[in-house]
Amino acid sequence: MNTRSALFVAASLLLALLSLWVGPSFSGATRDFVFYELRLPRLLVGALVGATLSISGAAFQAVFNNALATPSTVGTTAGATLGALLALAFDVGSGVFGVSLLTAAAFGGALVTTLTVSGLAASGRLSKNDVLLAGIAVTLAAGALASGVQFASDARALVAAAQWSLGQLPQVGYRGVLLIAPFAGVTVVGLLALARPLQSLALGEELAQAQGVHVARLRFLVLLVASLGVAACVAWCGPIAFVGLIVPHIVRLLAGPSLRSLLPLSFLGGAAFLVICDALARIALPGRELPVGVVTAALGAPTLVFLVSRARRE
Amino acid sequence: MRLRLEHVSLERHARALLDDVSLTVEPGQLLALLGPNGAGKTTLLRCMLGLATPSAGNVLLDDDALAKLSPRERAARVAWLPQHSQAAEELSALELVMAARYRFDEPFAVTQREAQRALARVSVAGVAERALGTLSGGERQRVSLAGLLAQATPILLVDEPANHLDPAQQIDVYRLLGELWREGRSVVCVTHDVNLLRHLGDPERVRVAGVADGRLRFECGLDAPELGERLGLLFGVHMRALAIGTPGNRVLVPEGRA
Repeated sequence: MNTRSALFVAASLLLALLSLWVGPSFSGATRDFVFYELRLPRLLVGALVGATLSISGAAFQAVFNNALATPSTVGTTAGATLGALLALAFDVGSGVFGVSLLTAAAFGGALVTTLTVSGLAASGRLSKNDVLLAGIAVTLAAGALASGVQFASDARALVAAAQWSLGQLPQVGYRGVLLIAPFAGVTVVGLLALARPLQSLALGEELAQAQGVHVARLRFLVLLVASLGVAACVAWCGPIAFVGLIVPHIVRLLAGPSLRSLLPLSFLGGAAFLVICDALARIALPGRELPVGVVTAALGAPTLVFLVSRARRE
Repeated sequence: MRLRLEHVSLERHARALLDDVSLTVEPGQLLALLGPNGAGKTTLLRCMLGLATPSAGNVLLDDDALAKLSPRERAARVAWLPQHSQAAEELSALELVMAARYRFDEPFAVTQREAQRALARVSVAGVAERALGTLSGGERQRVSLAGLLAQATPILLVDEPANHLDPAQQIDVYRLLGELWREGRSVVCVTHDVNLLRHLGDPERVRVAGVADGRLRFECGLDAPELGERLGLLFGVHMRALAIGTPGNRVLVPEGRA
């Protein structure tokens, strides 16, 4: 980790913290309520989700040795979407464990698809490209089912589904933070613990195996551990595009490819990035909020293009 | 540590890649596997590493069946220099060597120190922080050899270590490999250039095994008088022995197709 990347991350974290004061200003009791009960928990959710998506993206890019891998590569988003659509179509108003049925169903759907793919990876008979293909197949299958469900849904459910699929940080309060945190925690701690064998994969899978890495088991563990957190994030917030793809690339360009720094910096950078994007989403349009997924894509894509072209010039 | 293959066969898609191969590498021995392209030399190495599983026969390390060992246990016994490196170009030399310490449960600082020592041992301490993509072929091969050293195994398996190197670098790599061998390690070296083996030193102690069509065709010393004829048969060429330098020293040159 060099000085430049440390400075960059420190600056973005500071900027993220300042975002607490971004938005319409209030005074008196309203001010305290907005600050402590709305913005602070929302900042925490944003940080958790951004961190989880980014560190998972970095880990997936390493485990598949593929720059285009994202936290959704193994079908997480498609599964969550299918679950969410089913919940909306059947419109059961109740909830499970104090969580709305939409969230619970999205989480369940995400787990089903990702466990299918990680189960296939665990067999050890599939190459990493086979696992990627399995992820694509599961994504397509879940997408087809989701289209079928959409076809059978009424207009109200369709609008709700479209809204969910834009991806936004919901006003979930501290309860939401507490519900996402354990899953995000498993992902972050688990992936950080796997940094060393993941780094070995950069030498090629066979050499890593010859140096003592149990590659099939590593692949399974990474998919499992990351998917838990990603499923929780997608279930709560919908698919937030680009964070898991772009943040690891930005960090890699700044700090180099070593996973020892890439994973923790992606964690911090992702937290800051999503919180900043959410603050921008709050003020971009007068009087209403943009879905944060729109901002992440609009802001992230040009940043990545700029950094890549600069790195090529060097 | 003794490495032994007992009647190893390997079939893939109803084709025999290896056919009843038996051989032993005693502790501290150097065995060169020679043979034409596609003869099964690399497949043989992959069986010794547990990267390929024989359809019949056993690979033994002392008395342990290789197949029964965990990846980490294998990594404590055999280290591998693959013919084609798949390592990411932006990795630094130091990171490549540090990764070879995976089998050790040790603090980061120890890994770093051992990796730096291994780089210094093969005279490339100066390139530690450079990205692999910026190194010359010779430097890169030395860095890979430093990885083998860092893994600290009694057996080294090297696959065409001098491919794509210029003649000076080829000689350097083989000399270095000879030094590592004389420090007490066993070495299995796959190559199709018999003349490079001279640069290992101690030709009377170098053993050569000829492989073709997945079978072991012969085994003899590098200084055996009949080696030229046998290699000629193996590669399908007329081999001529040319005396060079000191008496008994020779190179084998293919004169034409058989």
